Amino acid sequence: MARGKDKKKRKLEKKQEGEDVPKKVPHTLESLREKDETMLANVEAEEQEEAQKDMELDELSAYYENAYEPKVLITYSDNPHSKTRIFGKELTRIIPNSISRYRQRSSVKRIVQSAIRESVTDVIIINENQKQPNGFLLIHLPNGPTAHFRLSSCKITPELRKDYKEITNHRPEVILNNFSTRLGLTVGRMLGALFHYEPQFRGRRAVTFHNQRDYIFFRHHRYEFTSDGKRAKLRELGPRFTLKLISLQQGTFDSKHGDYEWIIAGRRHQMETTRRRFFL
Amino acid sequence: MLLTEDKEIDIFVASKIGSFKHIKYHTDNTKNSKKCIENLVDIKSLQKDDSITCMVWGNPEQTEIILGRKNQQIEVYNTEKSEVVKAYTADFSSGHLVGLGRCKRKYLAALSGGVVKVWSKKMDFTVETGKLDRMRVCEDEPTMFATGGEENDLKIWQIGEAAPLFTAKNLPHDWLQLRRPVWVSDLTFLPGEGGRLVAVCSRHGYVRLYDTRAQRRPVCNVDFNAMAAVCIAPSFDQRNVLVGFGRGQLHQVDLRKSRPDKGFKGAAGAITDVLAVPGERLIFSSSLDRHIRAHKYDSKELLYKQYLTSKLSSLLVQTATTTPLKNEPEVKEELKEEKPEDTEYKDDDMDELFNSMETVGEKPKRKKLPTEPTEAKKHKLDDPEDAIKQLLRSTEKQKRKREKRKREKKAKSVFHNA
Repeated sequence: MARGKDKKKRKLEKKQEGEDVPKKVPHTLESLREKDETMLANVEAEEQEEAQKDMELDELSAYYENAYEPKVLITYSDNPHSKTRIFGKELTRIIPNSISRYRQRSSVKRIVQSAIRESVTDVIIINENQKQPNGFLLIHLPNGPTAHFRLSSCKITPELRKDYKEITNHRPEVILNNFSTRLGLTVGRMLGALFHYEPQFRGRRAVTFHNQRDYIFFRHHRYEFTSDGKRAKLRELGPRFTLKLISLQQGTFDSKHGDYEWIIAGRRHQMETTRRRFFL
Repeated sequence: MLLTEDKEIDIFVASKIGSFKHIKYHTDNTKNSKKCIENLVDIKSLQKDDSITCMVWGNPEQTEIILGRKNQQIEVYNTEKSEVVKAYTADFSSGHLVGLGRCKRKYLAALSGGVVKVWSKKMDFTVETGKLDRMRVCEDEPTMFATGGEENDLKIWQIGEAAPLFTAKNLPHDWLQLRRPVWVSDLTFLPGEGGRLVAVCSRHGYVRLYDTRAQRRPVCNVDFNAMAAVCIAPSFDQRNVLVGFGRGQLHQVDLRKSRPDKGFKGAAGAITDVLAVPGERLIFSSSLDRHIRAHKYDSKELLYKQYLTSKLSSLLVQTATTTPLKNEPEVKEELKEEKPEDTEYKDDDMDELFNSMETVGEKPKRKKLPTEPTEAKKHKLDDPEDAIKQLLRSTEKQKRKREKRKREKKAKSVFHNA
């Protein structure tokens, strides 16, 4: 049956049914997502307890116990072009207590070493290709883990017709959305650990990492409650970008000799069996 | 499908957070479930440095497991008593435990700082070896052990001797006259050779076979370009080894033809330990992606995969004996519980009803006090009215249960929700 043919009829039927019929939810890839056994929700208590313990004992637990204040170093591939440079500068405005430095042809392993010496807690390295930022390496210090993301659709503030000066230096609130599997939780925790654990609500700044179909969307807003206090008006401050996990490595960066906790390179056809399977 | 008898294999898995699990693997894959897994360590009591770094069998009967932790604690776990029998602290050097072993009454322990200690009631003996990544005791000749680490090539030692029996020599310089870097990440004695053949794998991406009688240089060298080999285990055929890599590959390496033989796919993270089970021709591997996997050796297919909530570090398979699960009786009773459902509607057949009723009502008691059920039985037969009441109650309960299950099923189903 052609779709358009009985459209009118269906519309009429819908009208007759009235308002009390619950709205149908469309089938999407997310709602039909393949069940992942590592999801924390609806598992037995014992398993949940163990997963909790696993998180309590991992390398990021110190941050979540508020044991230290994060200090972030942002650096680039060699000779970054203006867009990447601006992007890094804007990141320093978003992430409190962060500095941006040029790489000076130093290797990642040496950057890691000197960062540990300077008691930096996270290192971000932005890679660039054809004048566009395309890689995002996040290393938690002093002993890992290391996450490598593909960075895409990066829009810096001038491209969004905004001004970077609008970004105040209040500590932002961080929203981590939809990280549900065990891998997703680790990645979410890593991203969360970049920001100070105590946001300054005065600044009304919110940073969102929203995971949808394994793509992590970053948005940065200032919000304002409406006068009745029920809703919030948003104003995007920029930049925006999208991340996709390529690999998660145990320990600090060592792509040659290191142990990977999760890596997709070389096994995409085995792992991406259906379109309804997501890893984060 | 082939009609094969179901066999059970006992697997012990240690993890990076310090938990230690027992899995009963059934070769009949339909019987594998989460019920076959049990924790042997109380998870709540785990501390930050409890990570298990190595685990070996303590005796050839395979009833004792020696566990080495990151905080230098050594525990001897007995699978029959299912408890820790002995505990030691290895504080003779720095680092975590990289190798353990037992030779008759002597225990061996190696720390990553580079000291191997052998101790028993009578003797005490230490050797300094230089930084270690792995120490293993030879199964055929338990007085021999081998060590290796980063920039510390393979050495084979005899208990009681201060100098090594065998020291490996690196390959000659490459065509640019550059030295080849050495890093022994894991090693294994090939079985049935009397400790003569040792295979070594490296994070620099090579697998080498040493013959202690022939020469100091490796008799066979297989290069994997830029793939960090992490663990090695002897395979089924002679001079074949299984090698697991840091990027999640698992290959068999033929050391006779000196080339990689076949690969076993499926892992998303680094392989931390691999083992071949000769009886069923299965290959078990534990991985950093928190899964344990079983591959069929001949067809390379993935038979079994189980998520175990924490990062796995090592793996043991019990082939000599078997260990029952602690919670096994409960599992059996649950199976029984389902039977009465079918019979409950035959109201005319009273005897059957009574029988079924007992199994439902008295189960927990029977487990604790074996004498009571008989009394209860008599009592019931005397008073049929009571029995009928109870029966009604039980059927109602079951009805409710069934409805609940239905509801849950509904709630679970994606399409209904959508």
